[in-house]
Amino acid sequence: MYRYDEFDHKLVADRVNQFRGQVERRVSGALSEDQFKPLRLMNGVYLQLHAYMLRVAIPYGTLRSEQMRMLAHIARKYDRGYGHFTTRQNIQYNWPALDEIPDLLDELACVEMHAIQTSGNCIRNVTSDQYAGAIEGEAEDPRIVSEIIRQWSTFHPEFTYLPRKFKIAVTAHKNDRAAIKLHDIGIVVKQNDAGEIGYEVHVGGGQGRTPFVAKKMTDFVPKAKLLAYLEAVMRVYNMLGRRDNSYKARIKILVHETGEEEMRRMVEEEFAKIDASEMLTVPQEEIDRISAYFAPPAFETLPADSQAFSQAQADDADFARFVRANVVAHKQDGYAIVNISLKPIGGVPGDATDAQMDVIADLAERFSHDEVRVTHEQNLVLPHVKLDDVKTVYDALAAHELATANLGLISDQIACPGLDYCNLANARSIPLAQEISERFSDLDRQYDIGELKIKISGCINACGHHHVGHIGILGVDKKGTEFYQISLGGAADENAAIGQITGRAFTEEDIVDAIETVITTYTDLRADGERFIDTYNRVGMAPFKERLYD
Amino acid sequence: MTDYHLVIDGATAEESWIYLDDDAALSDAPSIISLTRLKDQAYALAERSAPLGVILRADGLGKTDLGEDVRELAPFIDRLALIAIHFPAYRNGRGYSAARVLREEFNFTGQLRATGDVLYDQWAMMNRCGINAFELAADIDLATFQTALGELSGAYQPAADQNRGALWARGK
Repeated sequence: MYRYDEFDHKLVADRVNQFRGQVERRVSGALSEDQFKPLRLMNGVYLQLHAYMLRVAIPYGTLRSEQMRMLAHIARKYDRGYGHFTTRQNIQYNWPALDEIPDLLDELACVEMHAIQTSGNCIRNVTSDQYAGAIEGEAEDPRIVSEIIRQWSTFHPEFTYLPRKFKIAVTAHKNDRAAIKLHDIGIVVKQNDAGEIGYEVHVGGGQGRTPFVAKKMTDFVPKAKLLAYLEAVMRVYNMLGRRDNSYKARIKILVHETGEEEMRRMVEEEFAKIDASEMLTVPQEEIDRISAYFAPPAFETLPADSQAFSQAQADDADFARFVRANVVAHKQDGYAIVNISLKPIGGVPGDATDAQMDVIADLAERFSHDEVRVTHEQNLVLPHVKLDDVKTVYDALAAHELATANLGLISDQIACPGLDYCNLANARSIPLAQEISERFSDLDRQYDIGELKIKISGCINACGHHHVGHIGILGVDKKGTEFYQISLGGAADENAAIGQITGRAFTEEDIVDAIETVITTYTDLRADGERFIDTYNRVGMAPFKERLYD
Repeated sequence: MTDYHLVIDGATAEESWIYLDDDAALSDAPSIISLTRLKDQAYALAERSAPLGVILRADGLGKTDLGEDVRELAPFIDRLALIAIHFPAYRNGRGYSAARVLREEFNFTGQLRATGDVLYDQWAMMNRCGINAFELAADIDLATFQTALGELSGAYQPAADQNRGALWARGK
């Protein structure tokens, strides 16, 4: 994992000191809330329905155990004993007191963490594949380029007041777990025929009220040229992105209104100008320095199979279920990737208590080469666990309600904070996620339904990714009553697609039954081995519509 | 008298320029004119020996309000001693790109000035993009300005200033 040098440390410390002064001026009344707003937004502090909310950056979703322990400590000391992991691999605290936030940030800085790039119209915290460095088949660890992008984009003087926020995601695998085609810029790390590493760049994806799948701008940018290419995209956007209407200000609208071809031409032209100076060509020594931090941990040479692991599954049906749903093959023989679901039946998606975070930190330290990952689907991962240790890890997780065996299943939902916390929401999301989770709590039924991604947003801003849920649910407000609209066929992976709305919305009383109808329609129609999304793509909307509205 | 005070290269300075409306007569005083006038009267302006400046406007130009295109200044760069970039609201950061294009692509060496809604927290960023003159609200003093520039000690990335950025400077 990347470690700060003196420069990184000083920059974060300077920022905390700067913000401390700003908070003091706000608390004393020298700054009005209006004047304070842009300053707090530069530091991850939002004003929510009930209180200030702080969003802490977890660059590309990677944490060391001491960092996870600090997140637990902060939940305990400054919040109400829990934190909320978000769809952008960050963590949010819902109840910090404003005057304590500078101290909180000081504590975070001790473990090389901060709240920079988590709000405001800047380049936001870069996200990546939670299986980076652990899964077979990556062109290169995507965190190397993610870290380079993190540094380049931090306090970028030209791109701090963009038309709108700007999100970059990176994957290095054919199976996209980072939803890169739904980002302002999505990057695929790949190898060309000559064996060189470079980047495929997608531009203009996004959700919100006007969802778009990103367009491929270029097939291959050589490694050394990536920042020049990104700066070209950013400059075109900063100069031509609309600022007259915030709903039309994202780069997806520029790409859509300009057209893919013209956008590509402008980016290429800008790229040629920027690249001519070679100013943004990162020196090889620096690439090497950063790469070294992401070298594989010291894996032991082990057999591919573990007798203890197989025996434990044979002896314990619950453990076998956990393995089936939550454990993924590792690239290194004798190791596994262990997913920790933050979606217990009836729980709040993405929430973890301080005690749970401490347990996970300890497990990471003892069994996972000190690493934890956060996923954009609001779960956690222990990326490097020996097969021999998986049962021990499972038992510890189970003792803290962290062993729900539902990864990728119907109860593993994404939900935004919704009307319970958010001042933009039209409807509640969390209670609905909880109801669906209760309705389908039977694990055997969940396995029978198979891979299914339900995503719930409490308003059109789509923080709960409803557009790209296999089943998406959008909360809408009609004359003061909460209604829920269903969409089908969305996907956030390498086959990214925007879901289609089924028809009129359902009331709070009817929505869970409607979901059940969608599910039974699928199970009635599915061919052997078909997942929900496969059946939907084969049969289309009509049969679902018929059953929902007959 | 101006309703702002001026900082050039980190020191307070007397204003020696005047902003001219499009219909105001040209004088021998150093004058800042609009881009429209610069383009319309290019030949007449070439006859004039007094220093010439232009203001690049960022709003009030129609529905989608993209502001004036900095690259339209290309043919005139050698004749300009000052370019003022207008920031209509602190949130509108279009001018940061304009500044870098002027400094890095056009190698503009004259005075590059920020005017409009130019706040404390933007000075350092603007400075890094090549802006060396600031029209500050009358109640801001030089010490406050200097403090703002110094609050962040380093930079990760190169821009239009001397700072190479940590990604490039490490190990050098």
